[in-house]
Amino acid sequence: MSEAHLTMGAHSGGAMEESPFAIPSKKLAMWLFLMADVMTFAACVAAYAFLRNSTPDWPRPFHGVTNVAIMTLIMLTSGLTMLIALGAAKSDDKAGAFRWMMITAAAGVVFTLLHVRDWMGMINQGVSLFQNPWGPAAFGAGFYAVTGFSLLHISAGTIALIIVAIRYRGGRYNADDIEIVNLFWQFVGLVWLFIVPVVYLMNLAR
Amino acid sequence: MTTAEGNGIKKYVTVYLCLLVITALQFFIGYKNIEGSQMVVRFLTFAVIEAILVVLFWMNLGSEKRVFVKFIVFFMLFVLATMNYIWTDSFRLLLFRLTKIGPS
Repeated sequence: MSEAHLTMGAHSGGAMEESPFAIPSKKLAMWLFLMADVMTFAACVAAYAFLRNSTPDWPRPFHGVTNVAIMTLIMLTSGLTMLIALGAAKSDDKAGAFRWMMITAAAGVVFTLLHVRDWMGMINQGVSLFQNPWGPAAFGAGFYAVTGFSLLHISAGTIALIIVAIRYRGGRYNADDIEIVNLFWQFVGLVWLFIVPVVYLMNLAR
Repeated sequence: MTTAEGNGIKKYVTVYLCLLVITALQFFIGYKNIEGSQMVVRFLTFAVIEAILVVLFWMNLGSEKRVFVKFIVFFMLFVLATMNYIWTDSFRLLLFRLTKIGPS
């Protein structure tokens, strides 16, 4: 027996042990990443909620949330189109999976543009990280931190969708990879469903 | 389209419609003149229901092995629950700011 075989044999017990979770390693890695991301988002939202709760004159600047409602509708619909893409990939419909993934990515682009439009509206009203026309300086910092972190994730998810779709069509990726990017996309959509009530609906002008 | 695929799409569309209805309710509540703490409770309840639907059916956690589901759920709930220790200090600050006693 060679030295290499002996060395491998010493570790084979650990290497060959069946995973108790019985899921592919890439998928496990994505779930672990999402768990870490939940903590980051939760810390961000908790910090925002802390500031909002402890500031008596917290501003309520949003007179209408039509833009946010459209963004939410797009985000929810993109979650469904992503699942249709996954279904097509699992039934070996390459063209269908690619098409639906690109539709999902297009929804991500529209969402990002509407998000930027929302930010531009706030910037034009004089809201920056350190000041705003309504008083408490922490409002701008909190608003941009929470929504910016979400925007960063959705932009990154859109890019990931396009890359995975192109590589899937080229034969380098398979349905398992689409399932992994689906996990990320559904997660960012889920986070948005928490941000809308906390950041926008709680601060509607009354 | 096979029967299994058709059922899968039906399930996804059903969840999608549920999410649309819940989100619409959230926007409706947002425009109502409800007391702050009551509003937070309602918003969070709806958001948690949405989260459960998405995680179970759209992220397919419900079809994973039971031990994995337990690992994810217990870990997440522990972290999210322990994060709530901030509230005592938040209310302390609010009280100080309202009564103008102590740090601003």
